[in-house]
Amino acid sequence: MRLYRDRVTEPPQTAEPTPVPGPAPGPAPGPAAADGTTPQTPAAVRRRAALTGAAVSALLILAIVLGSRLLRDFDSALLPYAVATVFLAFGVAYRYTVWISAPGARRLFRQGWRSFFSAANFRTAPTALPKMIATYLGFQKFLGARSHARWAAHQLIFWGCLLAAAITFPLTWGWFTFTSDSGSGPGYEMRIWGFKIIGFDALNAVGWLMFHGLDIAAVLVIAGASYFLWRRMKDRGAITGQRFAYDLVPLIALIVISVTGLLLTFSSIFLHGGGYEFLAILHMVTVVFTLIYIPFGKFFHIVQRPAAVGMQLFKYTARRKDDDEILTCRRCHEPIDTAPYVENLQGTMRDLDLGFDTWTEYCPRCKRVLRGTAYLDHVKKGFN
Amino acid sequence: MMGRTIFIDPGRCIGCQACVSACRECDSHRGKSMIHLDYPDEGHSVASLPTVCMHCEDPVAPCAEVCPADAILVTADGVVQQADTTRCIGCANCVNACPFGVPKIDLQAKLQMKCNLCYDRTAYGLAPMCATVCPTGALFYGTLDELRAERPGVQVADSFTFGSTTVSTGVAMVVPADKVQWPVPGGLPVVEINGRDVSEANSNKGGGGRREGVR
Repeated sequence: MRLYRDRVTEPPQTAEPTPVPGPAPGPAPGPAAADGTTPQTPAAVRRRAALTGAAVSALLILAIVLGSRLLRDFDSALLPYAVATVFLAFGVAYRYTVWISAPGARRLFRQGWRSFFSAANFRTAPTALPKMIATYLGFQKFLGARSHARWAAHQLIFWGCLLAAAITFPLTWGWFTFTSDSGSGPGYEMRIWGFKIIGFDALNAVGWLMFHGLDIAAVLVIAGASYFLWRRMKDRGAITGQRFAYDLVPLIALIVISVTGLLLTFSSIFLHGGGYEFLAILHMVTVVFTLIYIPFGKFFHIVQRPAAVGMQLFKYTARRKDDDEILTCRRCHEPIDTAPYVENLQGTMRDLDLGFDTWTEYCPRCKRVLRGTAYLDHVKKGFN
Repeated sequence: MMGRTIFIDPGRCIGCQACVSACRECDSHRGKSMIHLDYPDEGHSVASLPTVCMHCEDPVAPCAEVCPADAILVTADGVVQQADTTRCIGCANCVNACPFGVPKIDLQAKLQMKCNLCYDRTAYGLAPMCATVCPTGALFYGTLDELRAERPGVQVADSFTFGSTTVSTGVAMVVPADKVQWPVPGGLPVVEINGRDVSEANSNKGGGGRREGVR
């Protein structure tokens, strides 16, 4: 009888081989997960996701009603946008719940939040989390390591979209209002939830920036998205395996939204509102479709990316401890990763019924060398 | 096993590294080689082992299963693609879960990369770069029939054992005729036989797995 670390098996490994067993059992849900939770059926996950989505949507509707002072500040012309954001909230919450219900994501999600809520961790490194958020989510340093041009283009899209979202979402929800005591200005007051935040003159620089924030955002987004679109047509690496709906539609949507948005400004300034209604509807349709597309396509990475911070925080927390937190390869003693991370991965593999979780205690190179040695010794002796 | 796939014959490999160089030319990871060439008994034998992604079929792509970001997609033709650059968070789950030690990771770029069977080429019926340049046929791309037309009677195996688990793969290895019905050992060391600790003998340097305060 042979024991592979902690399990007893018949001899398949380094002695004479045994016949190929019958078809391996399918991915039947494993026994109770190692963390004590019971395995979830897909139907149960979908039910929970639908409930979460409905709850988040209901909360958003409540926030819109309350934030717009019982709809007094709500702009009914923007109703389609507001409805789209409610669908967006449902879709994001639904997919997020399904996503974090899978073993790999669920375990990392828990470890990330555990590190986040660790008071000891916060005491020893209070700046770690803000730094990671700025590095990974704000300035996206990792993209610079992939390509400087892609980093620059992504930053343009990121800040452009962030600016646009910061302006439009509260506007469509009736949270922002611009009022003027004199009727037609130029003195305006910006109010959030009815409270005055800032007073400005519509004709000075601040006023211009306030009323052209979306135009600035559009210029940023058009520049960034155009570069990515050009790259998707020219770069052979990017073209490999690219899909129209996943890779190109989001870029086209961003560009159409931005261009139609700019055309609205163009129409009001240079055409005295000519074609404005048509452009407004075209703009609204593209925005609504894009908002509803967010949970299902490439844009979902916006929701997923914070997981990188949770993962880094989890590893960082383990590294900061002084006592033996790095696991080294059982064969060559090269560091693999932090011990809690490897244990977390082993748990994930057990959840998935991947029966070789102890293999994670060997580095990738030693895995290959040991396989080569086994082939050399037991399959084709002295194969060279 | 996929229809057209790579067949690896370590017995033919001369360790020339042509595959490693050619792999860098693949459009989907230009400048970086995804193939591994290891020397299992370096100093004592000239034996060398090229490792490409085995495109696991059962269980389907353990790397994709453990991915917390759903970044690794398996195309309908059974090819396990490298991580989607938009989704990959660089956690290295795939790197450490892969039983064959295939995926690589760029920690700065927070990105996993691995052999994708030169999808930019194979999707159009061309052979992967490594198989195109291999001077000895240690890496052969085609169907099993095409392999047998060139090498009559050759036998291949596409099952590998890791402890109690057998992994079936899309990529196959050439094996001697008397070994064809056995899964190929994956190399996971045995630590105990009938209560006797043999971990020292199997682990080249013994011990290991220690936790060290390495920074």
